[in-house]
Amino acid sequence: MMDELELLKKDWQKKTASLPKLSYDEIYNMILKKSSSIVKWIFYISIAEFLFWILIGQIPVGESSTSELKNTNTLYTILEVLSYGIMLFFIVKFYLNYKKINTTDSARALMKNILKTRRTVVTYVWVSLSVFAISLVIVTAELIFYEPEFTALNEKLAAADSSLMVYALIGIIVIGCILVTGVLLWLFYRLIYGILLKRLQENYKELKKLEV
Amino acid sequence: MSKNLEHQFVTELENNQNIVHKVCTLYTHDRESHNDLFQEITIQLWKAYPKFRGEAKFSTWMYRVALNTAITLYRKSKKKVKTQDFDSVLFKIKAQEYDDTEEQQLKLMYNAIKELGDIEKALVFLYLEDKNYAEIAETLGISEVNARVKMNRVKNKLRTILNP
Repeated sequence: MMDELELLKKDWQKKTASLPKLSYDEIYNMILKKSSSIVKWIFYISIAEFLFWILIGQIPVGESSTSELKNTNTLYTILEVLSYGIMLFFIVKFYLNYKKINTTDSARALMKNILKTRRTVVTYVWVSLSVFAISLVIVTAELIFYEPEFTALNEKLAAADSSLMVYALIGIIVIGCILVTGVLLWLFYRLIYGILLKRLQENYKELKKLEV
Repeated sequence: MSKNLEHQFVTELENNQNIVHKVCTLYTHDRESHNDLFQEITIQLWKAYPKFRGEAKFSTWMYRVALNTAITLYRKSKKKVKTQDFDSVLFKIKAQEYDDTEEQQLKLMYNAIKELGDIEKALVFLYLEDKNYAEIAETLGISEVNARVKMNRVKNKLRTILNP
């Protein structure tokens, strides 16, 4: 086998003649073209995701109807500040990771930095989604317990025997909605990851496995 | 970027284009994707060029960017092409240069290499380019010992493919 490889090496180094040869102008034209690397795709997709989730975060969740309630108002402010803080943190982190992607790094370092950049965006999505889910639960609870239209209903419910069951049902519906959204999103991410990063992840794993 | 830098870069690449072509041959199966990958590697080299300070030889520096592009940045087309294409286009072995068995052997080996994974191909490529283990390790970002271990595994794998 060693001999075969040596033979191959000799042959390989003689290959030059059979290789294509591009002219100066052909190469010059190439440097004017745009890259279509996955890093570029990752960058655009990530920016789109940030914009999308920031916009989602702007949807007022029943804010106007509850403005009179002092205790929940503070909660809203906290949630809002929190979500802006989270957003800023992740955008900065994303930018710093993106800047670290460097083709002159070793293969392993390059892959690691690409995966890290991508992970920042995905973590951001999950975190902001969790904040969104928490606000949704709070708003629903609030609507049921404090809104005038619901208080009447609430009293009736409290008087009825099956009140606990109705509350449980509402709870299950809300949690169900959150879970379904979560699963759909998870599937969506599997898809994006599959398309963009499957090969990269496999190669990275292979290199990483070597170092264990 | 200045015209001067452009000129310098294009000239360097023109003189060293064989390295890029060899990477393309290993990682693609047809002429079209070969050109595609060449194009992407050229762009990546050009983007990284301002940071190239001549601390290494231009060719040495190229290996890393070219391999990184082939393994990590380039999105392969799903199209599956038969290995014959690859034989006939770029690895055509001139019959008069070798005796039959040698020619046959080489053909089989090139085909076997095409069946390897991305990282394994990179190892074989660097080996065929006569790089030492220190360089191989540095290019891939693994230790020298592990580069040796992995290379031995790849050799074994090639042996299995060749003699099933």
